[in-house]
Amino acid sequence: MKVKEIMTTEVTTLSPEMSAQEALGVLQKMEISGLPVLDAGGKLVGMFTEKEILGSILPSYIDKVGRFVYEENPKSTKKKFSELANLKVSDLMRKTVVVTGEDTTLCEVARMMLTQKIRRIVVVDKAGTVAGLVSRGDVLRAFTRESES
Amino acid sequence: MLKKFLTLIIVAVGLGLLGIRGGLSLHQATSVTIFSASILGTLFFWSFRLTFAFFGTSILLITKTIDLDNIIKFASLEVILFLVGMMVLVGLLKDAGFFAWLVSLILRIPNLTARKFIIFISCISALLACAVDEVTSIIFIVAAIFEICDYFEVDPTPFLIISVLATNIGSSGTVLGNPIGILIATKSGLTFEDFISKAFPLMLVCLTVLISVVLQWYKKTIAHLQRQMDELGANDILVKLISVPPEKELRMGLVIFGATLFFIALHHRLELLLGLEPNTILLIVPLLSSGSVMAWKWRKAREFIEKDVEWWTLLFFMLLFAQAGTLKYTGATDVLARGLVSLAGNSLAVLIGIVLWISSIGSSVLDNVVLVAAFIPVIQGFQSLNINLQPLWWALLFGGCFGGNITLVGSTANIVALGILEKERNIHITFFRWFWIGMTIGLLTTCIVWLALVFVPLYH
Repeated sequence: MKVKEIMTTEVTTLSPEMSAQEALGVLQKMEISGLPVLDAGGKLVGMFTEKEILGSILPSYIDKVGRFVYEENPKSTKKKFSELANLKVSDLMRKTVVVTGEDTTLCEVARMMLTQKIRRIVVVDKAGTVAGLVSRGDVLRAFTRESES
Repeated sequence: MLKKFLTLIIVAVGLGLLGIRGGLSLHQATSVTIFSASILGTLFFWSFRLTFAFFGTSILLITKTIDLDNIIKFASLEVILFLVGMMVLVGLLKDAGFFAWLVSLILRIPNLTARKFIIFISCISALLACAVDEVTSIIFIVAAIFEICDYFEVDPTPFLIISVLATNIGSSGTVLGNPIGILIATKSGLTFEDFISKAFPLMLVCLTVLISVVLQWYKKTIAHLQRQMDELGANDILVKLISVPPEKELRMGLVIFGATLFFIALHHRLELLLGLEPNTILLIVPLLSSGSVMAWKWRKAREFIEKDVEWWTLLFFMLLFAQAGTLKYTGATDVLARGLVSLAGNSLAVLIGIVLWISSIGSSVLDNVVLVAAFIPVIQGFQSLNINLQPLWWALLFGGCFGGNITLVGSTANIVALGILEKERNIHITFFRWFWIGMTIGLLTTCIVWLALVFVPLYH
């Protein structure tokens, strides 16, 4: 089975100029954790996910401080969350995006997801235009269908 | 980019040619050219510094400027192993929550006042830099400063600058504070006790001067913080903001760290007692501690080695030491040493000044390890001229550490702290905002050290 058979073809995309708060609203409305970002020419320029938003709200040094427990919410998180309205999607998006072709096999996509620790992969056509989005759930459902047939 | 590269080539080759005209042999001039290229490489192309080190070392070998045995000898594996051991230990302490526990202690300062806050962050920055390395310590201090400044709604920049200045000063207090400390200790034969009895007190004097100056310099900032403290009341939320469960792991980490410091402090006496070569215990204690850490947390042993040890930096250090050693091997540094002594008119006081100010001003723009690695063979070269080396080693240490305060790119601690400030608060410090206070502190503390090294017999 190939990716083109299981991918979601109707992909909602975000603009790099959109405010991060507005983009978060789109993610929440669609109940999805991340979406691709396309520039005015339709070129894939990044990936905007909940992880990037959380990373911008919490202090960047938390992983360097080591093990601890937050017993209270720091003042900075509330302030940073309200500042999302002033930030653009391009300020927070992940600029290195893992992409794959439409004819990639199911196992290869699963391998990419595992080794690169990503939830979803953007599928591009031969011209490099976004053709779809494939998630871990799509891959597992395809494996289930294959084993049942 | 091309312009910088051409400048690098012209300066490095020019120095070599100038050396030949001045009487250097071809091998001596080659070693000068390659080392200059590495120094300029770190200055102009920081991300490519290892590339320069790889190419440079290869050229030294191909041109038979140095042989394989000697390049390995000069790579100073003992220093690298010491740093590996300490990095593994710091990794364990981080994993066990030790540094977060320190942050929580800072957040719990009782009856906090603005002046108390300045004095406390200055002292803890300096002392923590003495106990672990400056780059590790600054991250935790910055974390605490941000939380406190957020709570009281004040700009964290002045407090961050103060903590970095104190960190750079504190890093001179022990062999653990800065890689140049252990590098100087191993090459000079100075012990941990020498550092504690000579470098540490001088560091404390300079820290006191720093605190006195910043309390005046940032008078308005301190007054503003005090007003905010009066208005917002006690730091109740900060007190319970974070917690670190006092688990077995944290206690065990503290025991291992304490034992490491204890044995490092006693290394000289133990070496005498056991009839070992100087600094043997100093170098093996971190290895024994990190070995214990890896035996205890064997499932994470690979992680400690792979993630907590900065191999990129250590590899660069190794090759840099080898290139600096080539200067000694070819005798180029002996020529420079004779030149410096003649420039100083055979006066030790002037020579101390030359070493101190060159290392201080040089460290304000260059990585201090690069500078110290270059200077070590020069100071060793003074030995044959019957000069008392001890004050010169201290001059190199203090110059290398304090020079980092002069500019905002003067030390790794500055760069790390300012990077966090930029990322967290989107605040860009201008060169001159740092420079006026940095230069004042840099000049004052370097002058104090100069006076101490010239007039206090303890340092001779």
